[in-house]
Amino acid sequence: MTNHEPVVYIVDDEPSVRDSLTLMIEQANISVQSFESAEAFLSAYEADFFGCIIIDVKMPEMDGLQLHIELLHRKVWLPVIFLTGHGDIPMSVKAIKTGALDFLTKPVTREKLLTCIRSAFTEAKKRVDEAAHKQNALACLAKLTQREREVMSLAVQGCCNKEIAACLGISHRTVEVHKSKIMWKTGSINLLDLVRITREGDLGK
Amino acid sequence: MDGLTNLSFRALFDAAVEAKLLVDASGRIVLANPAVQLLLGYSEDEICEVTIEMLMPAKYCEQHRHYRAFFSNNPEKRTMGNGKALTALCRDGTEIMLDISLSPIKTQGQLYVLITFIATDQRFKAEEALRASEERLRLAKQAAGLGIFDCDCKNKIIYWDEQMRRLWGQDSDDPVAYDEFLSVIHPEDRAARKAAYNHAIDPTGNGEYSAEFRVIHAASGIERWIVTIGRVHFEAGHAMRLVGVAQDVTEQKHLQKKLQEQRDETESFFKQQVATRTASAIAHELNQPLTAISAYSEVILHALNNEEIDSDKLKGALEGCIAQAQRAGRSLHELLAFLQKSEIKTEQLNLNDVICEALSIAENDGYGGFHKILNLQPDLPAVQGNRTQVQKVLVNLFRNAVEAMRIASVPTATISISVGTLAKANMASVIVQDNGPSLDKDLAKQIFEPFFTTKPSGIGMGLAISRALIEANGGQLWLDPDLNTGTRFRFTLPFAI
Repeated sequence: MTNHEPVVYIVDDEPSVRDSLTLMIEQANISVQSFESAEAFLSAYEADFFGCIIIDVKMPEMDGLQLHIELLHRKVWLPVIFLTGHGDIPMSVKAIKTGALDFLTKPVTREKLLTCIRSAFTEAKKRVDEAAHKQNALACLAKLTQREREVMSLAVQGCCNKEIAACLGISHRTVEVHKSKIMWKTGSINLLDLVRITREGDLGK
Repeated sequence: MDGLTNLSFRALFDAAVEAKLLVDASGRIVLANPAVQLLLGYSEDEICEVTIEMLMPAKYCEQHRHYRAFFSNNPEKRTMGNGKALTALCRDGTEIMLDISLSPIKTQGQLYVLITFIATDQRFKAEEALRASEERLRLAKQAAGLGIFDCDCKNKIIYWDEQMRRLWGQDSDDPVAYDEFLSVIHPEDRAARKAAYNHAIDPTGNGEYSAEFRVIHAASGIERWIVTIGRVHFEAGHAMRLVGVAQDVTEQKHLQKKLQEQRDETESFFKQQVATRTASAIAHELNQPLTAISAYSEVILHALNNEEIDSDKLKGALEGCIAQAQRAGRSLHELLAFLQKSEIKTEQLNLNDVICEALSIAENDGYGGFHKILNLQPDLPAVQGNRTQVQKVLVNLFRNAVEAMRIASVPTATISISVGTLAKANMASVIVQDNGPSLDKDLAKQIFEPFFTTKPSGIGMGLAISRALIEANGGQLWLDPDLNTGTRFRFTLPFAI
């Protein structure tokens, strides 16, 4: 899905902060794109944005926390790092609860910022991989017929063929045919593989 | 004189002011003087038709016949009723109260009784009215819980009523000596009470006595708040008596204290909010440039460490540092200018008055109870300043002093306030000194810094604000160093021109 290196997206209304942080991050050979407001970021956002986003909490118009919530609404899965003038505890708790990765206090040191960015990149990679797997799993599962889904659902719960046959009111033999088709369509090697795919596709139940 | 001895019984009888009757042994009235006719409303002819029993309410008649028989056998001069007033029946049926006395007169073998009536009705009514009024007073006293005292200023003896003794927690109803009376008063309140007393007995004053103090009951150790008011009676320029009332106001005091605590809490919360907001504004203004400076510097340092010298980039970063440091400084100045923006309205102030007002504000705020030594200067020229702000500074100084002395449990907390002139600077000066603990040097250095406090509940803005206020009024506030005991603050204000 992503064919480019991760990027740090900075959203801060303060030009000197944007400029200095950009210099600092670029010095570590990481690409940076900066935005002067939440609105500017949202209108520039593309589905292939990959990396992490550093958001200043205190901004005019839409502030950092509001931007974070908007990103969740739009299903933008970029890991979020907050920057704040003074990190009061209730605010940081709120931010972490809504899923922010970290909460950094200004002025921030190079070491802390880069460490934070690197772990955000790892998280980003994980999120992208998960999304890809899910996409893949959904595509596989989409190929199944209604009956095959029913059989699969019982199989991944641990029912043996005999039980599945009794439950669905079909013959033992028919269950075997359905199962082999399921394995072939999803490209699963064994039952464990099938369980993984259904979980990735959120069809585990 | 000879003429007088011949004065007839009848003439004397008729001339008497008291109402008189002469009754024979059977109880029949034989003579009635004009006074008795007037008193009972009978004519002379009519009254001589009746018996003595007809002149009293029917219920007494039977008993009276026995008394009359007894008197006939034991005739002697006496009063009736054992000191109690008796009732007589007038012709029109009304009853009047009388004292009655009997004098037996024997003449020509016959026993007559001379009866003298003294109408006690008026006296009786007055007594009744007095009793009722005393009763009303007693009930009012009881309802208000008022104790009454009467102090003999000369002999230093105090007479007191039951309630007063109860207020003092004592049983004996003997008068008490003045010293004993005072010994119950809370030691911290004695000086203030003494001052009120001295003020009251001053012959040049109006004699009004008003004091508020705590008494500690000797037996139980219970502490009660007492308010007392009274008035001194002077004779020939000397205070003779102080009569007054006292009331227990402990409950009101507790309520007041609670309300005050709530007000303090609100105020302290409000101040905290202001401090937080101010700090947060400062943090925001400074954090942005600091963030940039820190990041630029680290970029430069990292570049130098790794010998990745791109001189244009480094120059840019350094210029960024300078610009941001300059900006931070400007922000601070702007912030201070903003905080001090509200223009001060000054007026000509009598510093002596402002001090007295501030003292009463402090007392009302629950920071009273200290002994005051006032060295005011009534002739001091007016100073130029903002009344509320100068008051605020004084109240804050008193408050700090009282709190410090309370924490240190100073036995007789004293604050002395002196007004003077700094001649060379053309300034008025005020010294506020307490006898609490003295400040050590390290503490003294920090004491004016914002957010510095030694109090658990303080936010440490009091002295910082006080200093700022005095400076805004054109004066200075400082702490006199190197005192062995107590803390001495001094501030100046410019004279009005």
